[in-house]
Amino acid sequence: KTLGERECPCRQTSKSLPSVERLVLMGIALQVCHAACNGELYSRPFIESFEETPMLLAVLTYMSYGILTIFGYLRDFMREWKIEKCHTAREREEQKDFVPLYQDFENFYTRNIYMRIRDSWNRPICSVPGATFDLVECSSNDYNWTFEYTGRVVKDVINLGSYNYLGFAENTGACATAAGEVTVKFGVGVASTRQEMGNLDRHEELEKLAASFLGVESAMVFGMGFATNSMNIPALVGKGCLILSDELNHASLVLGARLSSSTIRVFKHNNMQSLEKLLRDAIVHGQPRTHRPWKKILILMEGIYSMEGSIIRLPEVIALKKKYKAYLYLDEAHSIGALGLNGRGVVEYFGLDPKDVDVMMGTFTKSFSAAGGYVGGRKDLIDYLRTHSHSAIYATTMSLPVVEQILTSMKCIMGKDGTTIGLSRIQRLAENTVYFRRRLQEMGFIIYGNNDSPVVPMMLYMPAKLGAFGREMLKRNIGVVGVGFPATPIIESRARFCISAAHTKEMLDRALDVISEVGDLLHLKYSRHKVLPSLDRPFDETTYEENEE
Amino acid sequence: MALGDAWKQLSWFYYQYVLVTALYMLEPWERTIFNSLLITVAAMAVYTCYVFMPQHIMAILHYFEVVQ
Repeated sequence: KTLGERECPCRQTSKSLPSVERLVLMGIALQVCHAACNGELYSRPFIESFEETPMLLAVLTYMSYGILTIFGYLRDFMREWKIEKCHTAREREEQKDFVPLYQDFENFYTRNIYMRIRDSWNRPICSVPGATFDLVECSSNDYNWTFEYTGRVVKDVINLGSYNYLGFAENTGACATAAGEVTVKFGVGVASTRQEMGNLDRHEELEKLAASFLGVESAMVFGMGFATNSMNIPALVGKGCLILSDELNHASLVLGARLSSSTIRVFKHNNMQSLEKLLRDAIVHGQPRTHRPWKKILILMEGIYSMEGSIIRLPEVIALKKKYKAYLYLDEAHSIGALGLNGRGVVEYFGLDPKDVDVMMGTFTKSFSAAGGYVGGRKDLIDYLRTHSHSAIYATTMSLPVVEQILTSMKCIMGKDGTTIGLSRIQRLAENTVYFRRRLQEMGFIIYGNNDSPVVPMMLYMPAKLGAFGREMLKRNIGVVGVGFPATPIIESRARFCISAAHTKEMLDRALDVISEVGDLLHLKYSRHKVLPSLDRPFDETTYEENEE
Repeated sequence: MALGDAWKQLSWFYYQYVLVTALYMLEPWERTIFNSLLITVAAMAVYTCYVFMPQHIMAILHYFEVVQ
């Protein structure tokens, strides 16, 4: 059944909303549905927004960075002339005339801006990071250069930062019991690589289960999620191949692409016009000097981009891929388990065929609360990877308690353990996501991303507000993650909330009240527009949105 | 109580000023330097206005022939 024949599911609305809101939502959904279903690519409304930075805020943010830079120069001057003690790494006196070892200027940002608000990061946790966690309190006497424990433990801090989408990060329950039994029976370490003695029967069982979970022919698991990307892309593409990578791809994808020594071209984030233009140029002009055709064209994209909260426009990417005969490498690190009716990821979310995606990669770190990654695809591709991947040859395999955790949580999600816990968690995550996003937008914060993504970035813009937000939230017992430069553009620092199925509605309400209070205290409610859903422009740029003036 | 409310409002404004100019992240002696510089510049501007404003206003009125 093609997408066009399928009945438009926009008419089904969530039963948990009150009737008036349901009517309004249905109205909007029907409106968008008629437009978005025009091209028959999208079977559900795709509502994504990235509100433009207000001009005054951008100017003020640049001004605050300017002031910090001036004071940074002043402090560097004082450190140079020994008026102040220097805490960073320096060369010895005897080596001053050598070629410099430490790049002083590059660390200017770290030394003078990051250090001042460093206490909002690397906070030590002393319990399992589930829906709440316990925090070891630290204080600093010399403005964040060194920390000491105060001796207190802050209990039951609401966790809005862990990638615990389905709530499997717990120390009680089926997963923990199974992992404990396996540790007693087999130990923790595997002590070998996959090709030597590290291939256990549990790994093969996990791979079969992962393949049936994803709907592909075969899958392979690796011990580390970052290494899955960086070690397998070089095995798939090489010299003479072209990689088209999204501009906001994760560091692991960028590293893997660079290690492969293929030509890399970057297209604008989630922008299908940019991607199509690059594909056409690649096919028409071929390789740079010789104009020979490219051996392979690989498109690298992620399912959910964690810094923006945007979801890949998968139907359009697959249509483009088929038209221009390129291959798609989909990194579902954040979207596996978190999207789709049965948690099968972004492919199920759009109702597409998993066989259309050539290489489906993902990690077990986020929704399954374990560690490691997988690659899924056709059987001959995975057999090739088993012999040619750097990770299979050189890296140790996944340790068995982790394998057991993944097996138990995957069976729970699929419903194979006989309960409906998995399905109820997926539904609770979807409800929590929609509720949290809607409430935050109503309060007037600028929220980026798609309405269905459980990653919610809230814009803060100014560096001082980034530090203040983390501290004020912790004072009120909520743990959040703030993100600044270099993970984001310099003026667009944000706080990133990760919704979990383990959050109850009371926790979310408490968190929302506190966020509203801190937002009023720090004056963070910047949003000026009523956000409209993206209308009948399936190929639009998502940088600017229509404003209702 | 009006004084207490006014004080609260003023301290919230000071907090906003400190956040927007990134003084929140600076150490107290750096804040002192920046505030002193700002107050000095502002005081100089006010003093200049006070000294020269009468002359400027007379010149404008003379230009528009309101006064001889």
